[in-house]
Amino acid sequence: MKSGHEAAEITASGIGKAYGDFHALRDISLTIGSGEFLTLLGPSGSGKSTFLMILAGFETPTSGTLRKNGADITGVPAEKRAFGMVFQGYALFPHMTVEQNIAFPLQVQGRADADIKRSVNTIIDRVGLRGHEKKRPSGLSGGQQQRVALARALVFEPSVLLLDEPFSALDKNLRSSMQEEVRRLHQETGTTFVFVTHDQSEALALSTRIGIFNHGQLQQIGTPKDVYERPANRFVAEFLGDVNFLSLSGVKATADGAEGLFEGHPMRISAPGQFVSEHFAIRPEHMVMFEQAPAEGNMLKAEIGDITYLGAETRFGLKTPGGIDLVLQMPTREVKSAFQPGRQVWAGWPANQGFFL
Amino acid sequence: MKSDRLKPALLLGPLVLFLGLAYLVPFLGVMQWSVTLPETGFSQYGKAVSDPLIQSVFLRTFRICLIVTLCAVAAAYAIAYVWVRGTPAQRLVTELCILIPFWISVLTRAFGWVALLSNRGLINTWLQAAGIISEPLTMVRNEFGVVLGMMHFLIPFAVFPIASAMRSLDERVFLAARGMGASRLRIFWSIFVPMTLPGILGAGLMVFVFALGFFITPAILGGGRSVMIAELIYLRLFQSPDWGLGAAISVILMLIVGALLVLMLRLVRPNKMLG
Amino acid sequence: MKPTPIAVFLAFTVALFLLLPLIAVVPVSFTPARFLSMPTDVWSLRHYQALLDNPAWLQSIWLSLRIGILSSVIATLLALMFSLGIWMFRPWFGSLLFGFVLLPMVAPPVVSAITLYFFLTTLSKVNDVVAYDTWVGVAIAHAVMIAPFAVVMVTVALAQVDRRIDLAARGFGASVSQRVFKVILPNIKFGVFTAFFLSFVLSWEEIGVTLFITSVDAVTLPRMMWMGLRDNIDPAIAAISVILIIIVITVILAKTAVTFKLSRKT
Repeated sequence: MKSGHEAAEITASGIGKAYGDFHALRDISLTIGSGEFLTLLGPSGSGKSTFLMILAGFETPTSGTLRKNGADITGVPAEKRAFGMVFQGYALFPHMTVEQNIAFPLQVQGRADADIKRSVNTIIDRVGLRGHEKKRPSGLSGGQQQRVALARALVFEPSVLLLDEPFSALDKNLRSSMQEEVRRLHQETGTTFVFVTHDQSEALALSTRIGIFNHGQLQQIGTPKDVYERPANRFVAEFLGDVNFLSLSGVKATADGAEGLFEGHPMRISAPGQFVSEHFAIRPEHMVMFEQAPAEGNMLKAEIGDITYLGAETRFGLKTPGGIDLVLQMPTREVKSAFQPGRQVWAGWPANQGFFL
Repeated sequence: MKSDRLKPALLLGPLVLFLGLAYLVPFLGVMQWSVTLPETGFSQYGKAVSDPLIQSVFLRTFRICLIVTLCAVAAAYAIAYVWVRGTPAQRLVTELCILIPFWISVLTRAFGWVALLSNRGLINTWLQAAGIISEPLTMVRNEFGVVLGMMHFLIPFAVFPIASAMRSLDERVFLAARGMGASRLRIFWSIFVPMTLPGILGAGLMVFVFALGFFITPAILGGGRSVMIAELIYLRLFQSPDWGLGAAISVILMLIVGALLVLMLRLVRPNKMLG
Repeated sequence: MKPTPIAVFLAFTVALFLLLPLIAVVPVSFTPARFLSMPTDVWSLRHYQALLDNPAWLQSIWLSLRIGILSSVIATLLALMFSLGIWMFRPWFGSLLFGFVLLPMVAPPVVSAITLYFFLTTLSKVNDVVAYDTWVGVAIAHAVMIAPFAVVMVTVALAQVDRRIDLAARGFGASVSQRVFKVILPNIKFGVFTAFFLSFVLSWEEIGVTLFITSVDAVTLPRMMWMGLRDNIDPAIAAISVILIIIVITVILAKTAVTFKLSRKT
């Protein structure tokens, strides 16, 4: 099956979309590699969906060009692009059965009936819809509708599959099993997947790379580890998860990073190749809590404020003597009974954790 | 990309062309009549504005339409309220009473009022049989009959926008108000009515516009005695052939209705009217 | 917040007001007299008999049927194409066009009547098919009047359709006709049927415009009733009215029963 899909490489250069004075997108340039799983992540209104609509051909950009394997497709309408697409809310044809829905793209392409039947049968097995072929979408559960939408978008072996917030209507458990399913389909088909979501954990879990959008601009693009641990700016850092900001004084660049002071505590940060500033940031789960000052690494003194139990994890609100509020998160099983509100503790982290902004 | 422009045109074109040829162009022709018959110039407009007879018809039309609009909207509000918020049985009964007259032809409905109100009609026959009156009461071929007949015609039209405004209300608002200790009367007058005001205004303007250009019911129930503006146009065209004047009055009527419609679009967003 | 007894009383008074004239027609239709009156001792079917005996009534019914079908087919077809065009392509001038095609609905009936009178009398000079006082002429004029209603009905039906199913079809490479016939129409067929039905009823009942554009040849049923209403009121009008009222009530009750059944099912 892998051979059937001709995965394509898409290059966007300088894509912009303006509605009058309002710029929904500004100067988006990126390359979606063949066979990649790229997630477009951002809050609502950030332009990620507009960009997906431009990729699909439902919208034409007001500036820039779009290429597929080098050929300019900027003005090619959706009908001629033949990208598979999974819509938010699935957009299944309510008057057709599961089988008919899945067969639709093939019929439109004018394939022979026997050929259509074979392809539909294969994909029905593959997404686990056997036994539901004759049902209409209204008779299916959310997860089953989701599978039909995926099957319909993949059945004609498109070179690119676009997914617009496909899981937003599913509950949490179904969501993770469908995520698993999508990842499997991506590996099996080898098709280029472009996935839009506003859910950062979904993006981190699924993607080979993530493009983060805000205010119509691409803020950063990189692997999940890159964007999470080396965010390009404060927006990216905060959008992907909680983060503590520490203002350092007397910052000096060193051979492999920087040195500085925070509330009198010396800080040594090893960050080879990164730019250096007094704005240092560290994620809550990268800090460890100690009853006594640890022997090595960076550390600061703080008092425990409120404690929030999250199940597997526990979250501590901390206040430094200088009055800065911090958040620390650790596995619940590592929480010691001594960690009670009002208690003076130490928060520490290795020199290679954290980043400058 | 040429075919992409062509396809919308193929779908949109036929109706636009049809109405352009069968409606817009002829209307321009009517406008031409108004300034060329019997002689070129705006003399027919001058006559339409200054002739005391035509002035009195315009005034009567506005007076009747205003009365009808107020009564019809009030009645529609009452029935719409129970239709939207009553018990299932109440809803069913009111719905049938709204829909049945709505689908019955205007002629049948006007005739129903004749059968009810005329000298040998239902009411006069009963009142005389009961010995309450000796001479039949005159209830048709005057303004009274016209107002009743027009109200009857227009109430269902007023019900729809009002009911849709009532349906769109959020029930929790009333629960909240009750939770704050407001009485039912208080909730009705200070929350329910103000929140349905757009529907009331929309219904009122719509009914008024309908009433202005309407002539079947007034012609039948007015019996030629209380002529309204639309009937006057008919008479000018077919009884005392005076096409230029008839056309001029039509154009004036169109302008008045156009102005009211613009007002309506400002007050009520049209998508709300569609329900 | 349930309606108070006073509110219910007021609403039922209005309901009675709406039904009263329809009820009043019934006894009048059974009068033995030649003029409009209440039957006193004898109830007679002579006015119902008159409907059958006078060929003019049956002719007018047959004419109204033909005009109703032709005009509603034209209006529904044109309105369907137009609404689909607006919905699928969303042209920037769409709302302008939409306003234009609604003109015959919002203009005062009498203005539409004089406009269509101008239209048909002008055409009469060059042909005698689509002309003043011909059945095709009346059907065309009715189509003008009812097309806006059909546009509204179809547009309302389209508003219920999830636009993304059309996008999905486009994404799979469907042509315009495939989108229309395979995806959109199956989802609005009920709305299209409603538009056709409403169009037919509106044409069947049309009198305002018909009065202006017919004289002695194209006498539709409403025109026939109008003639019987103007001067000496003919009780045969009561008889035909009763029949029309019964038809309407039957259809509405049947529809209510069906909706009720459907709502119980789900």
